[in-house]
Amino acid sequence: MTGTAAEAEVVPLLELAGVRAGYGAIEVLHGVDLALRPGSLLALLGPNGGGKSTAMRVCAGLHPATGGELRFAGRKVNGISAQDAAKLGVCSIPEGRGVFPNLTVRENLWAATGTGARLADLEEKAYGRFPILGKRRDQLAGSMSGGEQQMLALSRALGTDPAVLLLDELSMGLAPMIVTRMYDTVAELVEEGLSVLVAEQFARAVLPIADTAALMLNGRVVATGAPAEIEGRMAGDYLGG
Amino acid sequence: MTTFLTYTILGLVLGAVYSIAASGLVLTYNTSGIFNFAHGAQAMFGTFLYWQFQQWGWPAWLALVAVIGVVGPAMGAALHTVIMKGLRGTADVTKIIVTVAVLLGTVYLAQWVWDPDEARTVDMFFGTGAKISVGGVEVRYHELVCLAAAVAIAAGLRVLFTRTRAGVVMRGSVDDPDLLRLNGHDPERAAMLSWALGSTLAVTAGVLIVPISGGALDADQLTLLVIDAFAAAMFGRLRSIPRTFAGAMVLGLAANYVLAYLPSAGTFTGNLRVSLPMIILFVVLVVLPQDRLRGAAVRTRERYRPPTVRSAAVWGAVLIAGVYLYSLLLSDSGITTFALGMTFAIIALSLTVLTGYAGELNLAPLSFGAVATVVAFHFGVHGTGLDARLNVQGILLAVVAAALVGGLVALPALRLRGLYLALATLAFGEFLSNMVLRDTTEHKLFGIKFTLFPGGSLVVPPLRIGPLDLRDGTSSLMTATVLFALIGIGLAALRSSGYGRRLAAMKDSPAATAMLGQNLVRLKLSVFMISAAIAGLGGVLMASATGTVAQENFTFVGSLGLLMLVVVAGIGYISGALAGGLMAGVGSAVLVATFNDLALGHESMANVYTALGHLVLVMTALVGMGVGRNPSGFVHDIADSYRSLRGARPVLYGGGAVGAVLYVLAVTGVIGAWTFAIAALCVVMLLPVVGRMVMEERGSRETPLELAGVDEPYTDELRGKLDRALGLPAAHRPARPAPALRGEANAPA
Repeated sequence: MTGTAAEAEVVPLLELAGVRAGYGAIEVLHGVDLALRPGSLLALLGPNGGGKSTAMRVCAGLHPATGGELRFAGRKVNGISAQDAAKLGVCSIPEGRGVFPNLTVRENLWAATGTGARLADLEEKAYGRFPILGKRRDQLAGSMSGGEQQMLALSRALGTDPAVLLLDELSMGLAPMIVTRMYDTVAELVEEGLSVLVAEQFARAVLPIADTAALMLNGRVVATGAPAEIEGRMAGDYLGG
Repeated sequence: MTTFLTYTILGLVLGAVYSIAASGLVLTYNTSGIFNFAHGAQAMFGTFLYWQFQQWGWPAWLALVAVIGVVGPAMGAALHTVIMKGLRGTADVTKIIVTVAVLLGTVYLAQWVWDPDEARTVDMFFGTGAKISVGGVEVRYHELVCLAAAVAIAAGLRVLFTRTRAGVVMRGSVDDPDLLRLNGHDPERAAMLSWALGSTLAVTAGVLIVPISGGALDADQLTLLVIDAFAAAMFGRLRSIPRTFAGAMVLGLAANYVLAYLPSAGTFTGNLRVSLPMIILFVVLVVLPQDRLRGAAVRTRERYRPPTVRSAAVWGAVLIAGVYLYSLLLSDSGITTFALGMTFAIIALSLTVLTGYAGELNLAPLSFGAVATVVAFHFGVHGTGLDARLNVQGILLAVVAAALVGGLVALPALRLRGLYLALATLAFGEFLSNMVLRDTTEHKLFGIKFTLFPGGSLVVPPLRIGPLDLRDGTSSLMTATVLFALIGIGLAALRSSGYGRRLAAMKDSPAATAMLGQNLVRLKLSVFMISAAIAGLGGVLMASATGTVAQENFTFVGSLGLLMLVVVAGIGYISGALAGGLMAGVGSAVLVATFNDLALGHESMANVYTALGHLVLVMTALVGMGVGRNPSGFVHDIADSYRSLRGARPVLYGGGAVGAVLYVLAVTGVIGAWTFAIAALCVVMLLPVVGRMVMEERGSRETPLELAGVDEPYTDELRGKLDRALGLPAAHRPARPAPALRGEANAPA
């Protein structure tokens, strides 16, 4: 891999080492290596079906790894449950809309206090960052626009003070302007010291704010490096050239 | 005025109990997405225990604390842990069937433990004498307790759902359990809590309702009484607690006003009162706006393989030959029972087309059979006494009538889907069962006097078509079998036609089907009518095979039992209908009868045999609960295991030879007919196992590619093979050995 010696000395907050995982009899991840350094944004890129979402689900504790090691701050945590991972400070926003459609905005934030945050803090931060959510606080989340739902999902990361934020396909189904705004918020969170792992099909959305990028193809990470470097490789790899 | 006040108070009290029962339903539905048909059975079981505890000399308050504080929560938590947890991601029909199985199992268990022939009563709290007077009307303390409890529970649940985090988390667990985990909650804990609470509410309702509805404790009646609360729950569209409360009050008041102000002559008013909750349920379902079509396809774990017409024809011939050969072994009574089972199998076919092919639900298939039976009885019988026969015109008329009634029921319900449609058919079935099948009074319409169900039972004579007289068992059995085979072939043809594909599309995604320009209304209506016609035909044959039928032959519990067994066998398969129908019509009945005979014959072992008889019934329900683990049915598994036997001809021939030897032994009387049946079933079941062992010895099995990485290491050689199969990279790496680190190579996707 292309990581430098200096990078290797820092204990990564979140690390996958040779992780294998699959669905039933079909293996999807054939030994994935990834390391998220504290306070950085790692963009996990690659085409559909490459295993990005599965890798994210393994990190969040939603899917068991059948081989290799999953480490939080250097500690092996294979087989951790999602709720325990959440309590250890992993905030994961899954693919699609990470909201409960039949709960109101406020109730969604209330449900997000499962890791020990206070509802008042969450509301203050969420409505401060996205005023529209404040106006819609008693509206059912499922009845809001896609962008508003994604804001609500992201609000969970604002008020619960996580150590690691996992974002899976934040841009899915959203207008480009809203995507930019979302990633601006993510960039601010990184500035404040949060470590973020982003899986994204549309590299252009996330590469400008990424510290490191990894390219995932056919269930393995084929390259890790500076965003510009990976961007250069991607065109060729996508097209099979 | 006093009459009005009296009935108003009685109505409010009944409404209060309905509200408690209905809010338990709403609670579990909101937190697990499962509509719990067993709610009434849980109420019943708790109430029986309440009675039992008092029999042991416990004071009433202690018994109450025990059932509400311990039995209720424990029952709910156990149900969730053992059964309901496994139901995520299954189709509506599977969820319904599993709770129906719990209902049946609980009722059977209760009838086993507490002999139904013995009379039991539950007293009111503080006794019947404790009362106060409100505006000249006496109100008992027990009734005040009901009202107070209902108000407190409704308010408490409302607060729980909207004002506490635990309640919010419970609601979230239906939306997205995984997301709840990511939020640091345990969705299973939330669901378990809600089941415990729901079960406690059921038990509370049961203990309260028995004294106000007469005090007699009866497992079936009590279960159905709580099912009346479904209507109240539907007022709140299974979501809103306040609206459920209001609906329950309307229901309670309506039931009492009917009693107070309608003429009490004849059976009409009494029947109307009993079926009122179901009429209201139907109206509410049809009138209240329901969920819009969901856009996404419904992804479930059920998988069915549609048959080809040719294979259906071959198997139909095999079935006819097999049944004929087997009938040679049976005694006359055995043949009669078998023929009855075959008519049930025909009714089961109506479920295959409706649920298996079109994905719609009918919880009252026997009711359509009842419609057809009533029509056939009135219009199709000629001759009297022993010479009485059904004629073909009568049967055709009955089938048409069943189809029309099916269409009539489906028409207002066409906007409904899944659970709502299922409940509408349930309401219709109960309505029919109470209003028509109990209607023994004489009516006068257009100057014609008639009685729908004279004397409470109908004598349905056998069918005669020209020279074919179904008086003797064998011709009756063979006719039913041939009809089953013909309808089965017809259904296979239907399934593989354009119409059948449209049905399958509607099942997978109604929204997508509508967008393709299909007329969903016409599709649903037509499939419902086809299904009702088949159920009608089966019903008439069933009635005629039984001889004398009454309301008990067409009950809601009977319909549910049949549906459950068909789902257990595999509702997407014609063979599933055969197996399920035979089990419903023959299986348990024969086993229970056998054990009862044995109990009579061997007095020293009577207890053991009686227990075994009960156990058979409970076991069938247990099998139904297992549907959650295997939603495609056991026929699917057997067919799958035989598919792998194709290459092992010696095993198949061997199996055939063993079958032939068994048959010869049976014909010559060396072994009995039942021994033969059981041995033959064992051969059928064991053959794939033997085959697998034989084939493994040959060791010719190659790991399929998709199992690479699991059964075998994911080698570079394999990867190269995959790439070549995809036609992608071979040009890139000519003659180069597989790269050790593919990640380093510039590999294409």
